[in-house]
Amino acid sequence: MTRSRGGAVARRVAGHLIRGLVMVWVVATISFVIIREIPGNPVQGQYESLIQKGMSPEQAERATAVLYGFLPTGSLWDQYTGYLGSLLHFDLGRSLSTPGVEVTTLIGHAARWTVLPVLAGTLLSFLLGVTMGVYAAIKRSGKLGDLLALSGSLLHGVPVYVIGLLLTAIFTTLWPILPSGGPVDVEFVPGLNPGYVGSLLQHAVLPVVTYTLASYGGWILAMKSNVVAVLGDDFILAAELRGLKRGIVFRYLARNAILPLFTILALSIGMLFGGSIFIEEIFNYPGLGLLLVNSISSRDYALMGGTFLVITVGIIVANIAADLLYTAIDPRVRSGGSA
Amino acid sequence: MTVTVIPEATVQTTGGTTRATLRRNFWRGVWRVLRRKPSRMAGVVIVLLFAVMGLIGPLLYPDHLPRDDNALYSPPSLQHPFGTDFEGTDVLALVVTGARYVLLTGLATAVITVALGTAIGLFAGFRRGRWDTALMRLTDMNLAIPGLPLLLVLSAVWKFESPIEMGLVLGLLGWGGVARAVRSQTLSLRERGFIEAARGLGLPTTHIIGRELLPSMAPYIAMNMLIAVTGAVYAQVGLFFLGVLPFEANNWGVMLNLAVFNGGALTTPAALPYLLAPLLAILLLTLGIVLIVDAMDEIFNPRLREE
Repeated sequence: MTRSRGGAVARRVAGHLIRGLVMVWVVATISFVIIREIPGNPVQGQYESLIQKGMSPEQAERATAVLYGFLPTGSLWDQYTGYLGSLLHFDLGRSLSTPGVEVTTLIGHAARWTVLPVLAGTLLSFLLGVTMGVYAAIKRSGKLGDLLALSGSLLHGVPVYVIGLLLTAIFTTLWPILPSGGPVDVEFVPGLNPGYVGSLLQHAVLPVVTYTLASYGGWILAMKSNVVAVLGDDFILAAELRGLKRGIVFRYLARNAILPLFTILALSIGMLFGGSIFIEEIFNYPGLGLLLVNSISSRDYALMGGTFLVITVGIIVANIAADLLYTAIDPRVRSGGSA
Repeated sequence: MTVTVIPEATVQTTGGTTRATLRRNFWRGVWRVLRRKPSRMAGVVIVLLFAVMGLIGPLLYPDHLPRDDNALYSPPSLQHPFGTDFEGTDVLALVVTGARYVLLTGLATAVITVALGTAIGLFAGFRRGRWDTALMRLTDMNLAIPGLPLLLVLSAVWKFESPIEMGLVLGLLGWGGVARAVRSQTLSLRERGFIEAARGLGLPTTHIIGRELLPSMAPYIAMNMLIAVTGAVYAQVGLFFLGVLPFEANNWGVMLNLAVFNGGALTTPAALPYLLAPLLAILLLTLGIVLIVDAMDEIFNPRLREE
């Protein structure tokens, strides 16, 4: 590898990181402005109610600052820098609806219920969509191909809550074979025992299937059009003429068609993170999305701001990671697009 | 969630009489494309049906829909094709009267999305240089910030009282895709012969943009507008479904919310028709718009024509 090429990669990585940091700063600013602009000014309200309860102004000020991450008094600029400062220490304030608990703790507990199903759904839909996409491309003039493409278009076009609601209606109401909500049945002791794990998996089926179906459409459509494009390439014809086995031709085909899909990976993960809000509400799954909705309805604004930040930053990080991954695996991008 | 279509640019028309014939040929072509696949005709019919529903639907029913305390969650029958809700109101009537709010929001969103996206994309692509870089950074940001969490948080500050306000917010959050597509289209069109000729003739920039560039892009701006309608319908129905907005008027999202969280439609089959009716309406509207976009793609993209 030449020196200039290494420099180009480093510049690219640095560019992504800087853009990511700017995005995080923009989102943090939005979050600050919204918390400040909430009707009735909850920060000021908290401060005043604490003073009425007999606290000294300094105490009340400190208690409110602990809750929201910035001082209730002082200029707008002081509040803003205070908020950003506590964010730098990963301090998101304290929750009101679960009194005294730090927002970061609540988010940490909720994150696993979102991240694991989203990753499982992404993986499943990727495998399913890519395989079916190859079939849809090869059989594109037949009935099967038509049907596969139609299933892709439909699932791609329909909002995630429609998929979730229909699945629940079918599998918990009309044909009740799966539990309708919650992460796990309460009668089991948490731990590595078969009852608990079994119940956990049973409750995860519908959310994971919803995540899978929600992004399956995008994969199959993209994979189909990529395979169709690669099918026309000379090297596939050459491989066939050389009499290579079908398995090897298939590998040529898949390898070349799959590469552009990594650009959609970030979009897909981001979409599922956003969709988690609906999926968790429908299945009563205690993840980040449900935390966000509940914090809004219980007017727990510190929690709301924190959850919003974490979800958004998660999506931004996923975007950057996918971009970098793409740079790492695609030789054309890696060499600066000159090839 | 929103998909942006980028079809090929279309033929330019010049001259008075040729323009008239071209227009006639164009409508004949539209008719031919529609007739060849009946499903596309179905798309047009579905969307027209919804448009009529939004326009005159609320006039068909009294201001306060009749309640029937003896028929709470009654099953589908001739009198109530989709059963009744928790107050004994006809579900079909709720869907029909709720359509106006939903569709008006969709329309407002689509207009704002397309106007903003087209203006920014045209400007960036036509001026290039520093403006282009700055506007595209802004576009990237608009695309990277996830819309739904932001909408949820915004709903804590702003209650989006009218469909127009809701459309404004959704439009301001969603113009990125259109802007990027219009920019890339502008970049490629401005190198074409007819634009160079117009510039060589010394025609003013407003003429080049308004008379030469925009008409070439009109079809896919229209397609993006239709797709923006579906995106807006999903987003606002979703917001009402989550219950973070106050229920101002009857609409499909409110129905979903009440069916799931009050009616227990996910545990008792009785409330199921109440849940399924708005879902069906959303699916049907999506289907209609997808079919029309598909037909438009074929009308304006000569490569797809199978003649």
